[in-house]
Amino acid sequence: MQQENSVEKKLKERIRDVFDDFELVIGYSQSKIPLKVNPLFIQRKEEIDDLIFNNLCINNLATYSYFLSNELKGKIGIVLKPCDTRSITQLISEELLNKDRVKSIVVGCAGILDYKKIVKEIGGLKIISADIKDEHIRIDTIDENFTLKAKNFYADKCYTCNIYDNPPYYDEFIENDSKLNIEPRKEYEDLDEFEKLSLEEINSFWDLQFSNCIRCYACRNICPLEVCRDKCIAQLDVPHWQSQKINAVEGKFFQLIRAFHLAGRCTECGECERVCPANIQLLKLMKKINKDVLKLFNYRPGFNLDEKPPLLTFKNVEKNIKEEELI
Amino acid sequence: MENILGTNKDINNKDINTNSRKTGIKIVAFLCNWCSYAGADAAGTSRLRQPEDIRIIRVPCSGRINPLFVLKAFTQGADGVLVSGCHPNDCHYSEGNFYARRRLEILKEFLPVIGIDKRRFSYQWVSASEGQKWQKVVINFVKRIREIQG
Repeated sequence: MQQENSVEKKLKERIRDVFDDFELVIGYSQSKIPLKVNPLFIQRKEEIDDLIFNNLCINNLATYSYFLSNELKGKIGIVLKPCDTRSITQLISEELLNKDRVKSIVVGCAGILDYKKIVKEIGGLKIISADIKDEHIRIDTIDENFTLKAKNFYADKCYTCNIYDNPPYYDEFIENDSKLNIEPRKEYEDLDEFEKLSLEEINSFWDLQFSNCIRCYACRNICPLEVCRDKCIAQLDVPHWQSQKINAVEGKFFQLIRAFHLAGRCTECGECERVCPANIQLLKLMKKINKDVLKLFNYRPGFNLDEKPPLLTFKNVEKNIKEEELI
Repeated sequence: MENILGTNKDINNKDINTNSRKTGIKIVAFLCNWCSYAGADAAGTSRLRQPEDIRIIRVPCSGRINPLFVLKAFTQGADGVLVSGCHPNDCHYSEGNFYARRRLEILKEFLPVIGIDKRRFSYQWVSASEGQKWQKVVINFVKRIREIQG
């Protein structure tokens, strides 16, 4: 068990103050598995004691907002990191969420540790207990003990984050005394590197990646912005977009469906990659479209409540689009 | 032969005379009903010669074209995909091709990242009266695909 930190205390106090307005508050709670957290759905006031907030809270709780706001009648409060508010902002700007019914309680963030990276580093051994102290992670497995430097194990999105203490949108903001302290990287650095590869290399990369895809649809179900679910065209009979065969071609095509559903909407929370049981690098596809959207239409999803997503609107003269002539 | 819509004078026979069964090239073309399909029709009625590697699918408007149509065609083994619609500002439904332009540009930039050559895809604006432009577009596009195919 970790000790209660100051931001956690502030968060609990704040939620206790405003709890009567809400029908449900979603937050994080301790998990029995070391280095993981669970989502917590608070309906009674005494459950607030279970609430936690630390640098393991990687889940994007905005995922629950759309479906729960349709099911429940009252107000919903959601504990969010600054990067997660982008998903909420995007949903509101697309009029999928009602601003008055879903309130975001944003907590300043000091970087989030990526469980998958840590497990990879220790070679997939089973973690019995773990402890995080002063930028160091101590991990005990059955045979070995590890001490890792935390700064190498933050989630990919943390390295390009510049909104950790100034979220673009919030209803309540709780400041965190500890701030994100890692070396920033250039945005889309890994993607630029990837795009330099030849087409053959890219093809074989994806073939290898998608040969592991089991079409569990976890990536779709965790995504805060993919609100299609029952109407997903991958599972329709008419028109029959996809067969139910499990192979690399179908797995890849499912991701293409996702990529174009999220075109100009993806807020790059990285949840799809986090939940993927086959460790497929899905976010590359969404990032590529986001990069182009930024270049062509100067639009970043999830930062502005009033701006329309670029593919839902148009201009008579597009300055940045250069059409090719075939004559 | 010469007529109001165009002429076969400058067309190189080498660019047209192929048997697609022999070369094995398959190109899917999505044409909007109001402009490009009529344009292709005009090219046909005025007997402008074109390569036969192209399979035309008629759609109501270029705005009807889901980028996934194109990706599905590539997945199913098409060697190239051509999309054509009315010129901007000339859409039968006033704004369909404006949406299409944004989507197709994004799609075009996206293709290399999944391992498809960008040059295998193109979108063009051909109006109902531009039979000759259609002929040139088809000839040049087919030529380009043949070059990539080797």
